[in-house]
Amino acid sequence: MRRIDAVAAIARQELTARLRNRWIWTAGALLLISALAIALFGSAPVGVTRLDGGGQTLASLMNLSAYLVPLLALILGAGAIIDEKRRGVLDLVLVYPISTGEYFAGVFIGQYLALAAALVLSYVPTGVALHFAVGADAVEFLLLLGLALLLGAVFLAISFLVSILAKDRSRGMASSLLVWIVAVFIFDLVLVGGLVLYPGQVPAALFGLLLLLNPIDVFRLLCFKWVGSAAAPLGLSTVMPPLPTAALLAVLVFWAVVPLVLSHGMFRRRVAADRLV
Amino acid sequence: MIQLEGTSKRFREIEALAPVDLEIRRGEWMGIFGRNGSGKTSLLRILVGLSQPSTGRVLLEGKPPQPEDWRTFRSQLGFMPERVVFHENLTAEKTLRYFARLRGVDRNEVMPALESVGLGDAAKRRVGGYSKGMLQRLNLAQALLGTPRLLFLDEPFSGLDPGGVGLFLDLLKSVENRTVVFSSHRVHRLYGKVDRICVLSAGHVKALGTEADLCHRLELPVRVILQPLPGANGKLEADLGRLALGSVGNEDGKVVARVPQVNKTAFLAELKAFDDLIQYLRIEEPSIEEILLETD
Repeated sequence: MRRIDAVAAIARQELTARLRNRWIWTAGALLLISALAIALFGSAPVGVTRLDGGGQTLASLMNLSAYLVPLLALILGAGAIIDEKRRGVLDLVLVYPISTGEYFAGVFIGQYLALAAALVLSYVPTGVALHFAVGADAVEFLLLLGLALLLGAVFLAISFLVSILAKDRSRGMASSLLVWIVAVFIFDLVLVGGLVLYPGQVPAALFGLLLLLNPIDVFRLLCFKWVGSAAAPLGLSTVMPPLPTAALLAVLVFWAVVPLVLSHGMFRRRVAADRLV
Repeated sequence: MIQLEGTSKRFREIEALAPVDLEIRRGEWMGIFGRNGSGKTSLLRILVGLSQPSTGRVLLEGKPPQPEDWRTFRSQLGFMPERVVFHENLTAEKTLRYFARLRGVDRNEVMPALESVGLGDAAKRRVGGYSKGMLQRLNLAQALLGTPRLLFLDEPFSGLDPGGVGLFLDLLKSVENRTVVFSSHRVHRLYGKVDRICVLSAGHVKALGTEADLCHRLELPVRVILQPLPGANGKLEADLGRLALGSVGNEDGKVVARVPQVNKTAFLAELKAFDDLIQYLRIEEPSIEEILLETD
């Protein structure tokens, strides 16, 4: 059997199993409702309730993505592989003529495709509604979706690492939620706290570079660069690290690749040493 | 074919398997027996390359295997783990198709495999609704996909009814010169079925050889069960006891003699003199179970 066929078979199985699970569709429906609500009531704070195709909607959708996409990815990946080990499926599959790397890649791809399906099926109707109702910029919306998909890959990779470190689903879930809270709330609070404590002493460029330590902030920075109308209402587009867009994109890809490589290395070692769970 | 040289397995302070030398020969049926926790699964996991030994080494075809050697070995291997929880939302057919793809087996072999284990009618049902016995049959079907030359089966009879066990053994025999390694604590299922026996106790190999060899080596007695004619029970027991060729007792109205192998022929010859007291008799050779008890 060709190696790519083994990866495809595992990915397909993982995708089928995830898509047959109601959880992924519940999460997709939650995203869809939230995205449509933002599209419809995006201007509510200023007293207008109608479809708004402007920057406010895109900015709100960007924030929705920054909060919910990591959460969905972390929950989806919590228990990845570890659950299969506990179910005995992992031992069985690894006795087939496939390597740990092929298995790992297949599971990640399958889970990622399930996450991507939920994101695409919830964002696309919102984008279509916005485009036809108020002429929202389709390209900007697609760029936002693309970045949300990349952000999903980052946090799914992180969830794999957390899952293998945690050794069981419940601890993995708790650790994933902690990662989410830190990435979404605490990290930015600490940065802003630093600015308040040391007014004028933190150079803007350094502040911008510190933002690279959090993939959610990198996602936001890329949105500011690519989805221009999302940046304007937030007024944050001035806080930019001295890096070109391609470098920011590379940082986000780095955030996906590093946890994935680390988790695979750990997975391979623990399988060999019988210490996965 | 597969050799273990001084192979052991430790989990921190616990010695799951003491250093063992063992060879699995091509075409043989080997039974690895022992109580729960005796090290059977650890041994099986090392043999299929799922677990790295703490000491010693594994040889495939006489040499230390490289990753590609394991891949080739596994392409001919069917493995039935003791416990596997298939995805409950998938049907048996979809589950097996997945394993067929992993082994590079044509999808057209899936339905015949399910039919061969008696799951043809339930192929479209979700696995979540299967009974324990049906799950075990599905587990067997995945192990037999692609007609592998090597089968490693961990507690294969768990959850199977006697009919299922018979079907199971017939399926295993359907391929000539197939190497089969069983790990089980249900030894009675495999009386006379395996070529060699490996008995494990607390992680140590206590006995290794053919059933007959081990019975001889351990000097296990033959059981001669005699049904006396009405009223002859006491006399038969007393007279046989006086022969002093083995121990004689009474079990459920039958006279049972435990005779060492060396006295077997002499004892049977003496029985001629008791023809008028005996309704019928049965001879039981020592069983794997007795080997297990003796070595424990």
